[in-house]
Amino acid sequence: MKILETRKITKSFGALTAVNGVSLAIEAGSLHSIIGPNGAGKTTLFNLLTGTFPPTSGSIIFDQKEITGTPANRIAHLGLARSYQRTTVFPAFSLFDNAWVAAFATGKSWNGLMWKPSGGFPEASERARQALHDVGLEGKSTQLAREISHGEQRQLELAIALAAAPRVLLLDEPAAGLSPDETRKMVALVRALKGRYTIVLIEHKMDIIMSVSDRISVMHFGSLIAEGTPGEIQKNPEVRRAYLGGVAA
Amino acid sequence: MKRPFILIMVAIFLLPLAVRPAIASEIWIFAIFGLGLNLLLGYTGLLSFGQSTFFGSAAYVAGWLMKIHGVNAFLALGIGVGVGAASAAVVGYLCVQRSGLYFIMLTFALNQLFYFTAYQWTSVTGGEDGMPGVPRPALLGIDFKDPLIYYAFVSLLFLFCLWLMKRIVESPLGKILQAIRENEVRAEAVGYNVPRFKLLAFVIGGAFSGLAGVLYAMLFGIVPLEAISFVFSGNVVFATLIGGSGSLYGPVIGSFVFIWLSESMSTVWARWPLLLGMAFVIVVLFLRGGVVEAWHKLSLKFFLRK
Repeated sequence: MKILETRKITKSFGALTAVNGVSLAIEAGSLHSIIGPNGAGKTTLFNLLTGTFPPTSGSIIFDQKEITGTPANRIAHLGLARSYQRTTVFPAFSLFDNAWVAAFATGKSWNGLMWKPSGGFPEASERARQALHDVGLEGKSTQLAREISHGEQRQLELAIALAAAPRVLLLDEPAAGLSPDETRKMVALVRALKGRYTIVLIEHKMDIIMSVSDRISVMHFGSLIAEGTPGEIQKNPEVRRAYLGGVAA
Repeated sequence: MKRPFILIMVAIFLLPLAVRPAIASEIWIFAIFGLGLNLLLGYTGLLSFGQSTFFGSAAYVAGWLMKIHGVNAFLALGIGVGVGAASAAVVGYLCVQRSGLYFIMLTFALNQLFYFTAYQWTSVTGGEDGMPGVPRPALLGIDFKDPLIYYAFVSLLFLFCLWLMKRIVESPLGKILQAIRENEVRAEAVGYNVPRFKLLAFVIGGAFSGLAGVLYAMLFGIVPLEAISFVFSGNVVFATLIGGSGSLYGPVIGSFVFIWLSESMSTVWARWPLLLGMAFVIVVLFLRGGVVEAWHKLSLKFFLRK
């Protein structure tokens, strides 16, 4: 079953067409990667999927329902959560509060929003704890987000997305700026999440992509140029050309 | 938590011994005004330069109703809260569409709009002369004309406001507003309608300002034109920053310092605003957390050293 689909989705910024007629179909439960050289339009595609801005044309279908143009703050409630390529956390908050804010947003009830102490929402607190546990930060939950290392902030980035209990997880380069050692940890983490969530992954590091993906879509200059299993993509001549330029072709 | 509360109780009881009851009342009224601003400034990270819009509007409307229609104090205060919240809803709705400098300029510009309306509408507001003759009607048989009784009433309302604000900032709403301050993009992405929450902060802040405005009008028996001017808007920002915008008690301490300094020094030294200016420079350069931060640093240095 397809849980997330785009149909000929296009986004233009003036003369620049960042995403050009992309049609994607994400199978429920799979890990679907989107790769492509810098500036291929991968992050713009994520921004379209999460409602940061509406597409110029085309449509987005989530769980058989058209969600094109739904604003960002509604998207999370539908069950789509994202992480960011550039760390986007709440710096002065403890790690627990970072996750808690995301968990509360998509919680069952906002009763007592203005008067009940924020500790009195066991469901949100439990989900926040679980999210921190899943990324391996449960031991640091009282530390402030601005005081932890870059690698840990990348884990926190993921925890905030997980705390929303999403059905589809959109991960934008979770290993951006990580050391080889931290990258290995992150890969293990993504692999552990595989199966529990439908994951759409943007990544640059080929070894990660090839080892974890079920399917791969390749973008180049805003368009989709190939799609297939990791094996198929590796052999695809057009993908090689896009990545290596004219030389290897 | 216990200690600030005890300190405030002590201050409430000792203050009338040190200064005239009118000034003592003014301190707690201004603190209520500051609590409302701080929800925007300290918690949501929105610098509103137009808080006197809500303060002044409420003072004029409630003052007029008490003066002309003999409305009782209880109703007048309720109306003031309503006018403060309603005017904040209108102003806030327009302002939250923009951010940064444009947001600040909008709050300021709309404040000027209200100011000039009050300035021109002399038949009601008295224009530059202010609106005199605001009574202090008795409530449930208690005569508020006695300054000490009125002081007690103001203090009680202040304590109620402080308790209410504490509940609000410790609720999920407080967390969400702070999350907006910390990272607006992420707050939106995790599922909060950021403009709507900013508007809510405006309305709550406006309600507090409105209450303060009516209490102020009843205290002095007049609504001066300054009550709706940018001077008042600036003063409350000023006082909150000096006290410390990062904490619940910051505006309370700021109001204490600000009113006490301005009332006690203005009779002694005509150039007293120099002192305020210096205090402000020191806060901005060295103590971004205001008096509250200074207190924390001092207590760490002297009381916790083994």
